[in-house]
Amino acid sequence: MAPRPCAVLGVGQTKYKRRRDDVTLDGLVREAALRALEDAGATFDDIDAIVIGKAPDALEGVMMPLLSLCDALGAIGKPIHRVHTAGSVGASTAISAVNLVESGMYDTVLTIAYEKQSEGNATWALSGGKSGGQGAGGTFAPWIRNYIARSQAPEHIGWMVAVKDRLNALKNPYAHLHLPDISIEKVRESPMLWDPLHFLESCPSSDGAAAVVLGNDDIAKKSGRPPAWVISHAKRTEFGQFPGRDTVRPQAGVECSEALYRKAGITNPREQIDCAELYVPFSWYEPMWLEGHLIAEEGEGWKMTDAGDTELGGSFPVNMSGGVLSSNPIGASGMIRCLEAANQVRGTAGEYQVPGAKISIGHAYGGAAQYYAMWMVSSELNPVF
Amino acid sequence: MPQLHDVDYTLEYPYTRTTGPVIGPFLTGLRDGRILGQRCGDRVLCPPMEFDPDTFASLEPDLVEVGPGGVVENWTWVAEPSAKHPFDRPFGFAFIKLDGADTALVHAVDTGGDPEAMSTGMRVRAQYRDERHGSVADVYFVPEGDAAEQVIQPGDEPVTITEHLIGLRINEPLYPHRARFAQGLLDGKIIGQRSPVTGKVYVPGRGYDNMSRVLMSEADEVEVSDVGTVVAFTELNPVQYYGQTETEPYVRCSILFDGTDQPVIGIDIRDMTVDEMRVGMRMRCIWRDPEERSVEDIDNRYGNIPETVYARFEPTGEPDIPADELKEHSW
Repeated sequence: MAPRPCAVLGVGQTKYKRRRDDVTLDGLVREAALRALEDAGATFDDIDAIVIGKAPDALEGVMMPLLSLCDALGAIGKPIHRVHTAGSVGASTAISAVNLVESGMYDTVLTIAYEKQSEGNATWALSGGKSGGQGAGGTFAPWIRNYIARSQAPEHIGWMVAVKDRLNALKNPYAHLHLPDISIEKVRESPMLWDPLHFLESCPSSDGAAAVVLGNDDIAKKSGRPPAWVISHAKRTEFGQFPGRDTVRPQAGVECSEALYRKAGITNPREQIDCAELYVPFSWYEPMWLEGHLIAEEGEGWKMTDAGDTELGGSFPVNMSGGVLSSNPIGASGMIRCLEAANQVRGTAGEYQVPGAKISIGHAYGGAAQYYAMWMVSSELNPVF
Repeated sequence: MPQLHDVDYTLEYPYTRTTGPVIGPFLTGLRDGRILGQRCGDRVLCPPMEFDPDTFASLEPDLVEVGPGGVVENWTWVAEPSAKHPFDRPFGFAFIKLDGADTALVHAVDTGGDPEAMSTGMRVRAQYRDERHGSVADVYFVPEGDAAEQVIQPGDEPVTITEHLIGLRINEPLYPHRARFAQGLLDGKIIGQRSPVTGKVYVPGRGYDNMSRVLMSEADEVEVSDVGTVVAFTELNPVQYYGQTETEPYVRCSILFDGTDQPVIGIDIRDMTVDEMRVGMRMRCIWRDPEERSVEDIDNRYGNIPETVYARFEPTGEPDIPADELKEHSW
C-alpha cells in the first residue's frame, strides 16, 4: 500500500539564545509547539500523536523528558514517542513523525525538538563527565584536515562559510548569532579552537525549540495553509569506528542521499533541488556535505562555496536561515534544518526566501558523523523533474 | 606492581534550571517560608503548574498561599535513606493536600524515624530548613502536633535560576577484556584482539568484532607493536567545564600501531606542537617506568592508552607513510 501523502502544515520556532532565562524547559518547548499549532491553524485538540526528540539526556540532566513534558505539549491521553539519534535527532524526529502520518495510523502529528544547552554543558556530556574532553570540534577537526588535504581546498573556504551563514542569519529574527560586522578577517583572527577550526567557524551553544505540525493529504486540503509536501526522506547509520571507514565521506551519508534522491526521482541533485539546509556545525562541513551528499562531485564541493554558489542568491543556496553556525540548540538543530527547508517551499522564509523555491532538502548528522537523516520537501505533491 | 581496580566514579554535573513565571515564585515562596499554589479555574494547584493539566491551556501566573497545614492522602516509607534523601533517618514520602489547595504535593514527612506515626488522613505541617536556597528541599513536613513555631526571614531577590548537582555513581568491575588490556599496559604491552573471521586486529578490543558480529575472547588476543603511524591529530584548546583539569593547549592524535587495523584514538602529546605533527609520521611509545604506570583512567567505556602509562611518544625518524595508504584508518 502506498504511503499516505504527508505535508508540513505549520512550523514554530523560539528565539535562539545563549540562555533563555525567562522560561522553564517546559515553557520553552511549549512556545515552539504553540507557534507551530498557530501557523497550522490548529490546536492541541487536533493533534493525534506527539513525537519529541533531543540530544542525550546528560545535556540537561533531565531523564526521560518525554514524561515530564506531557503537560506542556498537551500529550495527556495521547501517544507520545521520543527519538534519540545524537545530533541528527531533530531530523530523525521529524521523519519519525512523517512515518506516523504516512502509515495512515494518525492524521495529524505534532513533532518537537529542543535543547536547553545552558542548563548543562555539552562538552562535559560528550566527555562522559571526564577531564580532557575534546568536544565535537576535536573529533571533527582531524577529518576536516583530511578533507582539506584530499581536496586541496584553500584555507579561506572555511572562513567564507562562517561569514556567509552569519550574514544569512541577519535576515532571520530567530537566529542566535547576529554578527553584522562579521568578516573574513574577523574569522581568521578569532582564536583557534581545534586546528584548523577557529572560534568563529564553530557553532554557538543555544537554548531553543522547534516544532512542526504534519498532516495527511485530507488534513492539508482542509487546513488551507501552504503545504510543504514531504516527498522523500531517508535515514542511515554506520558504526563510529571500523577499519575501512571513510570519515571524510562516510558511506552512510552517501547512501542516505542516494536513497533520498531515488525515492523522489531526483537524478541531478545540483540542478533539480533549489536550495538546502545542511547540518554545518563547523564551517568546513558545507563543502564536505555538498560532496558527501552527492550535490557536488568529490573534490568539487569547496569550489561551489568559493564561487558563491551557496550564497543566498547563488545557484545552490545553502543554509539560508544562517544554519547551525548561527543557532545550535543541539537536539532541535536538525528539525530546524527540516523546518527551514519547508519554509522555503511554502514561500514563508521571509527575508531569506529563495525566490520561487519548489524543492528543498533538510539534513542532519549525528554522533561521530554516523547517523544521517534527510528529508526533501516540495511545494507540489507530485513534482515532475 | 600497581593493581587493577574496580571502576568507581561519579558522573555528576551542577545543572541549572530556569524557573519561569510560575515555578520561580513558588520556589521564592519556599525560601521565604510560604507555600504558594497556582489558581486554575476554581481550583488551586499545589505544586503549581504552568499549564492547565486538563485543558492544556496556558495559566497566567496567579499564586495564592496555601498550608502550612495539610492532610496526608497517601504515603510510603523509606526505611533506608540514601545520601540524596532529605533525612538521614527513615522517613515517609507522602501525598499532602495542603489547606486551601485542591491537589496534593509529594513531600517528605519526618516522624523521628517511626513508621507507626504515619497514617493516611493524618495532619501534617510545614517546617523550614535554617538554610534555604529557593529549593523544594527548603521545606519538609512533620506531624502537626510536633510542629515548632518558626520565624522565617525572607530573602532579597526572586529565585529565577536554581542549581542542582545531579549525579550517578558507577561502581562495577572492569570487563574481563578491559582488565586484560589494562593489565597489558601496566606490563608495557599493547594488547589487541584479532577477529577470528577477518583477521583484522582491533586495539583495544571490544570483546567482539562489530563488523563480523562475533565474540572475541582471550584466545583472540595478541600483543601488538608499540610503534605506529599517526593517522589523525588535532590541537585541543581546553573548554572549561565542571571537572575539567586541562588548561593549556595540547595535541591529541590517533595512532595506527603496526600490525593493527584500527587506530588507537585519544593519545595525548604534550611535547610537540600541532605544527610538528604530520599524518603518516612514525611514532614509538616510550613507556613510563613500571612502578610509575597506572590505569585508573580506564573504565569500561572510556580510556585507551592513557598518559599515566607512557612518558611520551617519540618520532622514530623513519620516512612517513603516504596519507593515501591511511585513508581508511583515520579513526
